[in-house]
Amino acid sequence: MHIAVCLTYVPDPDTIEVDPLTGEIDSGRTLHILNPADAVALEMGLRLRATGDTLSALTVGPIEAETVLREALAVGADRVLRLWDEGRSGTKPAVTSILIAAALRTEGLPDLVLCGGRSLERGSGKIPALLGEYLNWPVVTEITELSVDAARVHFHRRLDRGARSEGEVTMPAVLGLAAGGVRLRYASLPGLMQAKRAAIPARDLPDLGLSPLDLAFPSSTVHAAMPPRPRPRTIFIPDSSLSPEERIAQIMSAGIAQKASEIIEGSPEDMADAIIAFLRARGFLDETV
Amino acid sequence: MSPDHSRSFVTAASDMTTPPDEHFDVIVVGAGPAGSAAALVAARAGLKVLLVERGEYPGAKNVSGACFYGSAVLNELIPNWWEKAPVERYVCRRDLVLMSETTAVSMDFRSAAAGYVEPPYNAFTILRPKFDRWFAAQAEAAGAFLLTSTVVDDVIKERGRVVGIKVRREHGEVRGDVVIACDGVNSWLAKKAGLQRDLHDHEVSLGVKEVLGLDEAVIRERFHLTGNEGVAYEYVGAVTQDVRGGAFLYTNKSSLSVGIIGQVSSLVEAKKRPYDILEHFKSHPAVAPLVRGGKLREYSAHLIPEAGWKMMPQLVAPGMLIAGDAAGFCLATGLYIEGINYAMQSGIAAAKAAIHACACRDFGKHTLARYTELLWPHNVFTDFRAFKHAPGFVNGNRLQNLYPDLVAHGTEMLFQVNGQAKQKILPLSFKVMRQYKVKSRHVLSDLYKVARAYLW
Repeated sequence: MHIAVCLTYVPDPDTIEVDPLTGEIDSGRTLHILNPADAVALEMGLRLRATGDTLSALTVGPIEAETVLREALAVGADRVLRLWDEGRSGTKPAVTSILIAAALRTEGLPDLVLCGGRSLERGSGKIPALLGEYLNWPVVTEITELSVDAARVHFHRRLDRGARSEGEVTMPAVLGLAAGGVRLRYASLPGLMQAKRAAIPARDLPDLGLSPLDLAFPSSTVHAAMPPRPRPRTIFIPDSSLSPEERIAQIMSAGIAQKASEIIEGSPEDMADAIIAFLRARGFLDETV
Repeated sequence: MSPDHSRSFVTAASDMTTPPDEHFDVIVVGAGPAGSAAALVAARAGLKVLLVERGEYPGAKNVSGACFYGSAVLNELIPNWWEKAPVERYVCRRDLVLMSETTAVSMDFRSAAAGYVEPPYNAFTILRPKFDRWFAAQAEAAGAFLLTSTVVDDVIKERGRVVGIKVRREHGEVRGDVVIACDGVNSWLAKKAGLQRDLHDHEVSLGVKEVLGLDEAVIRERFHLTGNEGVAYEYVGAVTQDVRGGAFLYTNKSSLSVGIIGQVSSLVEAKKRPYDILEHFKSHPAVAPLVRGGKLREYSAHLIPEAGWKMMPQLVAPGMLIAGDAAGFCLATGLYIEGINYAMQSGIAAAKAAIHACACRDFGKHTLARYTELLWPHNVFTDFRAFKHAPGFVNGNRLQNLYPDLVAHGTEMLFQVNGQAKQKILPLSFKVMRQYKVKSRHVLSDLYKVARAYLW
């Protein structure tokens, strides 16, 4: 069996220092670490690996990202590969997953792809789903436990509000692991030293049979960035035309009114307009949208 | 299932099967100023060097004021180092302050002499997490092999000689000809090798430090600095309450390092919490205006070896040398609070001794004793011997708490105009001494001690 684990290089939140005077992150002091959820995926992969199996680790990132692959080598990954398009400053989940999918195709498709559910950095949790799309494989996310029996993967999933579910999926598949509960093993000294010396192979776009056009997504433009600020809340003011008794009753109720739900009916266009009007009225949409 | 594994992911995987039987010429434990300097010098001499650090990166666990008096020392290793290293400000102002609860009397030193304001400068304020990372990277660039997140548990001894270290990892034995222990004040290795006893609580002090963020322009204006000038304040007296110790305040680029140092035994005696003393210090009328508006960025604490000459361990054992704080190379005499420079110098001397030992392939005690010989010309021993009486005396109660209070009170009376007859300084001094119930016998003996500690 061949297991591929996708690793990400993320800023260590413990080292992020926001300059209290400028509000900017002091990038000179930020250290990067292996994404915790990816460390879980790596450990799960190592536990699944039986004799004769292969475990590969991939990352998408600049040369500094090699450290996560060295970490993987140190704990026992058989193969590692770094994917990057030089001249790129960052990636979006869509680009990352195209690169990984292309690499998996050119280097030999694995039986299982393990990913951390979400990264500490963006936390969008899109990678497993996008990879499943590009590979045309089934995807299971939020996995907390898994075991392999022949070509079937038995898994436990974490659901909302503490619920769990169990299920099975046939390989090949993309699995997204939930962070927590599992710790990455501690590397042995020889493993660590050899990993530090190892040459880390890298692939760029031509190696992967991609052209820059494949990665050209309409870029989003940032018009302005501002610190998050809660929307102003309307404070309940009792109706002055009421009698004092009624006003006190209103105040005592803390202004709680039954939430009114509204069901919109009509043609799709009318319904869309009504939804937009609703969102706009509550300040969720910018007036210019 | 995937048909073509063999050609995929061409990696160093084949390397991983080679036996891990590594042998180093020099193993340096601890990537602080001593360790990185030792690794740098040894690696430049072409030796195979392993530098082991327990933190996630060099400097992660290191705490110091940090005012680095020893620019010239580093300049010999890395010419014009201040242009490349993350330094904060060069120190051209020093302020020694005697304090009572309400008053501060200071000796303000400020110089535009070449030795202070021109390369190689006299001293720099630095932030250790940044600086130590940079310094270790220099050693790495010179060829040393840096291993982080790795704790060293023990030394490997064979026939009475240290031949390597055991780290807290699987198959964690590494062998090397010379082990240089630079693992800080509570040196585990020195104890394991039987070179250092357990330290007494009057030999170590606890330093507690805050880094307070403050705008660059505000710092310049508040401390009367231009450009990249910096100032180092050192305080003694009532500021540490009943605890024997002092306090410091250094200016960084856009922050202040503020801290107190208290002798551990007297902290225990006085039942005082170090962070309470720090808060008390920060609210002193002479300090509060300096730190006003500073936003807390970092908080750290560390032990400081303060007994100097009298607490030095044996520095040499067969196959092993001890340098830096592990060897007690921290000079705290009241006039000087220095350590980083001695750490570097001892690291360099240790590396030179190791190079010599590797050249003649003899790692016995007598060959490595060259280290202690080198510490004399490197001015480590000379300084510590010259001030060997200072630590015990500086840490005395009268000097730390009584005299600063007395001077501050005397100065208060000297300058106060309240319609009473003015007194000349000597009668005034006697009056103050009577008030504080100081015996002239004590003053005379302390004066003698001051003279012995600093004058000759």
